[in-house]
Amino acid sequence: MLLPAGQRASGEWIDDTLRARVEEKGLLARTPLAGEFPRQRVEVIRGADPTAEVNRLYRLRGWTDGLPIVPPTLGRLDEMLAQGPLDRRAVLGEVEPLGGVASVEKIAANAVMAGCLPEHFPVVLAAVQAILDPEFNLRGVQTTDENVAPLLVVNGPAARRLGINASWGALGPGWTANATIGRAVRLVMNNVGGGWPGAVSFAGLGQPARYSLCLAEREGDTPWPSLHVELGYRPEQSTVTVLRAETVINVTGGLDELASVIGSAASLFGILHSGKPTVILSPFTARRLAGDGWTRADVRRELYTRGRLPAETWRRSWIHATVRATDWPDWARAAAESGFIPAVREPDDLTLIVAGADLPIPQHAYCPSWGHPPCRVTREVVLPPAVRGTMTGP
Amino acid sequence: MLRASAVVERAGVPTASLVCEGFRGQAATTATGLGLPGLPTALVPGHVDVQTVDELRRNLAAVTVDAVIRNLTEAPARVGGDVVEPAPADIVFEGNLDEVNRFFYENDWSDGLPIVPPTPERVAEFLRWSDRPGETELGVLLPDQRRATVWNVAVNGVMAGCRPEYMPILVALVEAMADPRYGVEHSGNTPGAETLIILNGPLIKELGFNYEQGALRDGIQANTTIGRFWRLYLRNVAGFLHHRTDKGTFGNTWRVVLAENEDALRRIGWTTIAEDQGVPGGNAVTISRYTGGGVIASVFGNTPDQMLPYLADSMLRKVGWELMFTVGMGVGSQRPLLLLSPILAETLAKSGLDKAALQQRLFELCRIPAWQFERYIGDWTNLVPGRPTLASLVKAGLIPPVFAESEDPERLVPIVCRAEDLMVAVSGDPLRTNAYAFAHNGILGYPTTKPIRLPAEWSRLLREARGR
Repeated sequence: MLLPAGQRASGEWIDDTLRARVEEKGLLARTPLAGEFPRQRVEVIRGADPTAEVNRLYRLRGWTDGLPIVPPTLGRLDEMLAQGPLDRRAVLGEVEPLGGVASVEKIAANAVMAGCLPEHFPVVLAAVQAILDPEFNLRGVQTTDENVAPLLVVNGPAARRLGINASWGALGPGWTANATIGRAVRLVMNNVGGGWPGAVSFAGLGQPARYSLCLAEREGDTPWPSLHVELGYRPEQSTVTVLRAETVINVTGGLDELASVIGSAASLFGILHSGKPTVILSPFTARRLAGDGWTRADVRRELYTRGRLPAETWRRSWIHATVRATDWPDWARAAAESGFIPAVREPDDLTLIVAGADLPIPQHAYCPSWGHPPCRVTREVVLPPAVRGTMTGP
Repeated sequence: MLRASAVVERAGVPTASLVCEGFRGQAATTATGLGLPGLPTALVPGHVDVQTVDELRRNLAAVTVDAVIRNLTEAPARVGGDVVEPAPADIVFEGNLDEVNRFFYENDWSDGLPIVPPTPERVAEFLRWSDRPGETELGVLLPDQRRATVWNVAVNGVMAGCRPEYMPILVALVEAMADPRYGVEHSGNTPGAETLIILNGPLIKELGFNYEQGALRDGIQANTTIGRFWRLYLRNVAGFLHHRTDKGTFGNTWRVVLAENEDALRRIGWTTIAEDQGVPGGNAVTISRYTGGGVIASVFGNTPDQMLPYLADSMLRKVGWELMFTVGMGVGSQRPLLLLSPILAETLAKSGLDKAALQQRLFELCRIPAWQFERYIGDWTNLVPGRPTLASLVKAGLIPPVFAESEDPERLVPIVCRAEDLMVAVSGDPLRTNAYAFAHNGILGYPTTKPIRLPAEWSRLLREARGR
């Protein structure tokens, strides 16, 4: 078994810090074996049922999200690494807040544990690269009392090749790639970064998206360029775009209903930080709008224009009473004078993607953002040469 | 350089250490070993040696200057603390031989060859061969700043496949490794030179070392396993690991122990290496780091006049950039080694040459034009800063006058500062007229000799061991 826990560049294991925090917070019942493991690269775990024993030990050491994990054996690790573009020793950075070194090998161990198939690994690597970008503010995401989670949007051939669902139930259970890629990122945050709930991570309520929040964009239903092409990539490139999602709000209906939800208290934190929220648009609606000659930019502008929060709602809000008046951005304060505040500073700050089943009962989602700085980080997914550019899956 | 920065930081003065891109990992691990894991460094993109002045200026302006300012004006991140490691007697693993080997290898504790599992019983047996208790500290080794103890010498000796009776040699080797004159902390430098262990004394015969045909070849347990021990100890205790603290661009495998042919030396009245090093009478190890070397085949002739020009020429051919250690870093620390087969040594001795006279003759013959010397340390490598001429170094009193007996660039200058800097050892096939020349790594692995202390019960223990 490869130890999935974070080790700082100085050699210390972050689990020693975590053990102290866990004891302070009286959380030892959840992870009674926190910090108790051999300080090595690999460990051998035996027994009548080694898989069960690995699961028991890793759970009690604080290395899972509560669900069973796949034991990170060296064989599984090698299969995972063989699919990634980087050497196992390569280091992507240090994972905040406790600063474990994100070596490719460490990330692979967590991907194995999450249940990723080896071919998913390039997406996991790209997603981890993205959350390590300072723009993502991983330290904030890990430690805030808000419930924010990384939202991963995959574009390009990798999405199809790996079966990353963009259609029926894309944010629901049943899709290995969606479930495990997001979960791998969470396990990296937990094990290498040390974002243990209640000890280091203080999300008040959390949200199920903290297990996994990963989907692909439906490309090709409309003449619209897909998200990654809008962001300057070529269609044949694959990317993962990482956003900060405070939650996922379902909206059934059309742009009216979306605008109504966007122009609500759900957007208050986003306004405070000039954030970049996400709208997942139903393919049915997208196709209809495109047929009427709308571009993606038109839709964003429409939602920007109509999804406005009454200044009165803002003034009476808890956040308004809590933060200083000067904490609000100029654009929001200026807009308040006019009586209504847009949910974003400018239309392009809205990330608009198309996903979900092509149903005549159009279901959209609004994912408000959280925190500083405004964030939308994209990284290219580098597939192994044999499958790069392949347009059909096995 | 980080070591200098660490001293300055400890004195309370902010530092910025410029680190080329390929060296960031080594900087981080080295800083940790120095006890200052947050030691500020400023990145220099790429490697400075291959950049034009404009490229370098652009890179420094775009990246390095900001980092230097931050290094000098911000408090270093507070990181660090004690890294927990298994206690000496902890059982870290139980399993069969294959499993143990896989486990040790995967945890970076092995060189990839099978190890002998360091079980408590085997370690205890090794410890019987030292009068000092296991916890005795032999020194503290960079880069990992780990304590060298009699215990961990035994553990690595077991792993390397040594016999317990080699233990006194292993302890002496680690004492030499820990001697600041040797400079073990440089063992991860980019030229990747490798240490040669030279053994002297009665132990050569008592423990069955090879000192005749194939003296530098693996295949004899004593010579081979002690050579392997050296590298395992550098890995497991000093902490030199591929891609981390070891930046050897190519490196090479460890060398087997070179045992001198002391019978031959006695016959011709020459001193041993240990005696030359000022450790006379008995068992001793000498360590020295060589950048490379090569065989000198078929030395033809029966007088020094016939033989020495070829030997000297071969020694010259092995030395290039290493001349920086003669006149630059660690002036006078270049110590090339000439290894003679007994028949060559005996032929030279027959003409009346003792070792000192031989060294003097070689010193006079191993010379190159001053312009060529200056090209090695200057134009071609930039290894001696400021491209000084040898004459200017002599004038400044930094190097001996022999390097500037005239102003003529064609004048011949020696490759070492003093005749005795040229070391001469005798071993190998007694009746073959071959020699071997080693180029030396100077102050980054300076010849260091330690006497070997035998346990009080040595004779009894050895009898017992032979009876098994």
